[in-house]
Amino acid sequence: MNKRYVMVHDENKCIGCQACNIACRSENNVPEGVTRLQVRVEGPFGEAPHLHFKYNRVSCQQCENAPCVSVCPTGAAYIDENGLVSIHNDKCVGCQYCVAACPYKVRFINPITKAADKCNFCKDTRLARGEQPACVTACPTDALYFGDANDSQSEVALLLNTKITYQEKTHLGTKPRVYRIPTKRGGIES
Amino acid sequence: MIELNRRHFLKGAGVSGASCALASILPGSLAALEKQPLKGVSSEVASICEMCSTRCPIKARIVDGKNVFITGNKEAKSFGGKVCARGGAGHSLLYDPQRIVNPLKRVGERGAGEWIEISWADAYKEIATKMNQIKQQYGAETIAFSSKSGSLSGHIFHLAEAFGSPNTFTHASTCPGSYVVAAKAIFGTKMKRDLSNSKYIINFGHNLYEGINMSETRGMMQAQMDKGAKLVVFEPRFSIVADKADEWHAIRPGTDVSVALALCHVLIYDNLYDRDFIEKFVVGFDEFAAEVEQYTPEWAETISDVSASAIRRIAHEYASHAPHAVVDFGHRATFTPEEFDMRRALYAANILIGNIERKGGLYMGKKAPGYNKFAGENIAPVLAKPGVEGMPKSSAIRIDQVEKQYAMMWSSGGIYQTILDATLEAKPYQLKAWVMSRTNPMQTLTDRAKVEQTLKALDLVVSCDLYISETAAYADYILPESTYLERDEEIQDKSGKNPAYYVRQRVVETIGNTRPSWQIFKELGQSLGLDKFYPWENMQTLQLMQLNRDHSLLENIKKMGYVSYGKPLMLREPEMVAAFVKAFPNARSVDEDGCYATAMKFKTPSGKIELTSQKIEDMAPGRGVIKHRNVQLKQADEFYFIQGKVAVHTNGATHNVPMLANLMSNNAVWIHPVTAGRLNIHSGDAIQLISSVGSEEGTALVTPGIRQDTVFAYMGFGSKNKELVRATGKGIHCGNLLPNVIAPICGMNLHTTGVKLVKI
Repeated sequence: MNKRYVMVHDENKCIGCQACNIACRSENNVPEGVTRLQVRVEGPFGEAPHLHFKYNRVSCQQCENAPCVSVCPTGAAYIDENGLVSIHNDKCVGCQYCVAACPYKVRFINPITKAADKCNFCKDTRLARGEQPACVTACPTDALYFGDANDSQSEVALLLNTKITYQEKTHLGTKPRVYRIPTKRGGIES
Repeated sequence: MIELNRRHFLKGAGVSGASCALASILPGSLAALEKQPLKGVSSEVASICEMCSTRCPIKARIVDGKNVFITGNKEAKSFGGKVCARGGAGHSLLYDPQRIVNPLKRVGERGAGEWIEISWADAYKEIATKMNQIKQQYGAETIAFSSKSGSLSGHIFHLAEAFGSPNTFTHASTCPGSYVVAAKAIFGTKMKRDLSNSKYIINFGHNLYEGINMSETRGMMQAQMDKGAKLVVFEPRFSIVADKADEWHAIRPGTDVSVALALCHVLIYDNLYDRDFIEKFVVGFDEFAAEVEQYTPEWAETISDVSASAIRRIAHEYASHAPHAVVDFGHRATFTPEEFDMRRALYAANILIGNIERKGGLYMGKKAPGYNKFAGENIAPVLAKPGVEGMPKSSAIRIDQVEKQYAMMWSSGGIYQTILDATLEAKPYQLKAWVMSRTNPMQTLTDRAKVEQTLKALDLVVSCDLYISETAAYADYILPESTYLERDEEIQDKSGKNPAYYVRQRVVETIGNTRPSWQIFKELGQSLGLDKFYPWENMQTLQLMQLNRDHSLLENIKKMGYVSYGKPLMLREPEMVAAFVKAFPNARSVDEDGCYATAMKFKTPSGKIELTSQKIEDMAPGRGVIKHRNVQLKQADEFYFIQGKVAVHTNGATHNVPMLANLMSNNAVWIHPVTAGRLNIHSGDAIQLISSVGSEEGTALVTPGIRQDTVFAYMGFGSKNKELVRATGKGIHCGNLLPNVIAPICGMNLHTTGVKLVKI
């Protein structure tokens, strides 16, 4: 493997504004009715006045140990040389085993291509042009970071080394590559 | 072969659910784009967004002549090359098959939705004939002209002036007017916020994380998360900005002024204010101090439900960060009829800590003429203002000019709501027609029923719009404007701490038979026989006139999209002044303390900051001093009804844009669990809100993020005209519940009222 692409979502900076969602739809021609990426503003949780929202990025987690890949009967789902969970459209038979297997519920059948689809970090659109993924480019509050965690000088490597992060459903052994910086509640005392 | 067959079978079966969703895609819309590969050569055009009124600099990527992706323009540093969901969905508006792309003429009853297509020439001719008839019979002033403010209002107001009507209105009195009028009263000019450098931010429901203003939203987030600034939010609802705050106080709706005045009380009587600054730059302090002596935190607690100890502590914390601290003066109104004094009280809390022209405080925009004077050389080009000789001066008074107290309103567009009384009650005289451009008073004015009556009562209603908006549905003629991605416009000033310009330019070829509004109102003017007031040919002639025929400068602004000159300058910030003087050898010499403080000028009668204003006292006796007045916003058995902005829609404008309608097409009503329990309401239940002017049915959202005595809905939803297919009948229409109440001095329409809540 050459690279280890990861996404870091800082939930402190995220405002749930959906700029990422729209940028993703535009860049990747995501048809109406299906979604590669959204941020769900969940809550508020807690007791007033100590409430808080959860800004939950819902998109492919780019698992190192991806259940969608293990269950795919035709080899359409695969992990590429940079660790990106990818799909050979022409090998996909639309059986939806991957849709059922995904613990993050982020796979769907694309109504245009009729193949399984999901976030691929803009692998064949922006990444192919040497650009950052659409969501990262658009994010108004700089809540998203993307890069190669194998490169120790990269911003994401630095973040993973210095910030507290968590991943969703790690108990399943999927080893997701979307990292989240959890909301840090409480004030900075003056 | 078997595998192939099986594969195709499975594919067909697998997507049956999704196919249903797909069937709803309208032909010719984005669906057409989706079939195109996006890889390969692409080009970008720099322009200005128009999905809201912030006007962020953008770049639009074009593939095969089609706009496919919009992002921010990195040249504008404070905007960070970013774009919000609305901005990113601009192409969804552009290619929406429900856009009106040919002029329409009403054939049925007004508002019945029966239209025929008409040529531009015939539309101009018919409208001009009718307008001239009205002018002859009743006078030009009986035609009102209104527009969304900004670049669009210039051309329709030029027409109004040439035609001879003084009655021009923008949406200011329904949205940002009060902070502008309050700033004019105190500083003589608008002020800007330096949120990104602030170390302590006090926010009264200015929800920058949902009502996104890109540079300010980014500035506040950077201050908070990267630099550790503390954010205190007073808001009745747990909004996104309340969530991101270090402290959230669920203040009683409409009582912000009491907390702001109590903060001022503590600053003055605990001796936390900047005495030196007040002495040098402020008049009317003594009167203000005498007035606020009674406004103790304990008093404010009884009105606002914010604890006195919190107010006292916050005032001390705020002062300890002076001058790099700010009380945000807010944006959209109007929480209380005492809006003017509420905004003045917020400015007062800034003035007291002397944060004017200091990092993290308030400052004045540095446009080219003033900036060049400081620099002693021409750092930035100065825009010429193309004017036309011999414009008629109407002798009629404006319909909102009957009361002296509103004298500060006119340059900001006047009191929009007065169109209703002038039409329905001939106050101060009878209006006969209404010509409007890109404005949606059916959503943004209050008392929708009255707006409808007004539109039905007029002899002529003309609407220039992109869609058959809720208001355009009541027009006699709809003149379809090209979207911002199909138009060229004048060079715009975007100066902040240093001068900057940018320009909106055409990104793609015009779709259908639409025209830019400058052309529409020029051609209508010509049809009215007003040719002599249109000496310019097209937009490029105008742009070159602005830039004194400097072709290369025009090319550069167009290529970069945004051009910034010089260095950031705040007159009382030593580091900035030092860097400025270093960069420009001919710069004005500095004061003893290394600043330009003595050069600070305010366009008030005294030339100073006026905490108390004789001018206001003369306009409205008893209102010269900032004070608290009791107001009743609801009856005892009612709930406060409040509204707010959401990040994916703009007020009355974007609810039909496909991508945005898909994100959110409804506004559930926020109800506290205790309230909901008492009324046996659960999330998802159908509920009814009843106010003094109307009733609305909607869906309940039970959440602890709202006060028990308050209900909340995002504004702009619940359109009642069938033309807006994706928006009509979905959610609560706020304007249908809000009574038409005009706030003193600032002329704002009130946005807080009482409602009864019923489960249905």
